[in-house]
Amino acid sequence: MSRIKTIMRSDPDCNIISQDAVYLVTKATEMFIEFLGKEAAKTTINTKRKTVMKRDVDSAIDQVSHLCFLEGALEWQ
Amino acid sequence: MAEKLEDLNLPNASVQKIIKDALPESVNIGKDARSALSRAASVFVLYVTSQASKEAQKSHRKTLMGQDVLNALEELEFEEFLEPLQELHKSFQDSKKQGKNPKKKNASTDDVEMVEEIEDSAEENLEEEAAD
Repeated sequence: MSRIKTIMRSDPDCNIISQDAVYLVTKATEMFIEFLGKEAAKTTINTKRKTVMKRDVDSAIDQVSHLCFLEGALEWQ
Repeated sequence: MAEKLEDLNLPNASVQKIIKDALPESVNIGKDARSALSRAASVFVLYVTSQASKEAQKSHRKTLMGQDVLNALEELEFEEFLEPLQELHKSFQDSKKQGKNPKKKNASTDDVEMVEEIEDSAEENLEEEAAD
């Protein structure tokens, strides 16, 4: 949870963050990872593979409309 | 700010655990996919935080509250997360209220007990070290 707090604090617009805000963002992020993981796995299973690859994650991002904020974000090094 | 990019990533082990629990037994996760998910999660945190701070500003507040996070998620079309998060938010707030015990005597007793526990375990550690 403290790593999440660090990331949140790096936002310049963000000053004071309440404990319950950090808690909720942490939980939401866990749910997000689960959600994205499952979406990516759908592609993996559809193509009859057993290992989720990065391209499955990319495919999930393309398919789920509100994941558009991730487009291009995964090309960092 | 000399922050390395790695510092803005989430701990790998935690991400791995969440993914493993989410996926069926027969499916594995590749290293690339795991780090992609990890980075996606960091971006998600920033995205939600940014939206939540806009929500706070709308209400003329400087402090980011839990409700701002919930509103932000709704704005960002993550409504499916809202219901469970609202439950969690409620139980988090309830447990915080319980923590603030109105009876001062009990509160100080709890503190003393906690301190005693820490001291006991410290003593045990010392004993173990002495035995070695």
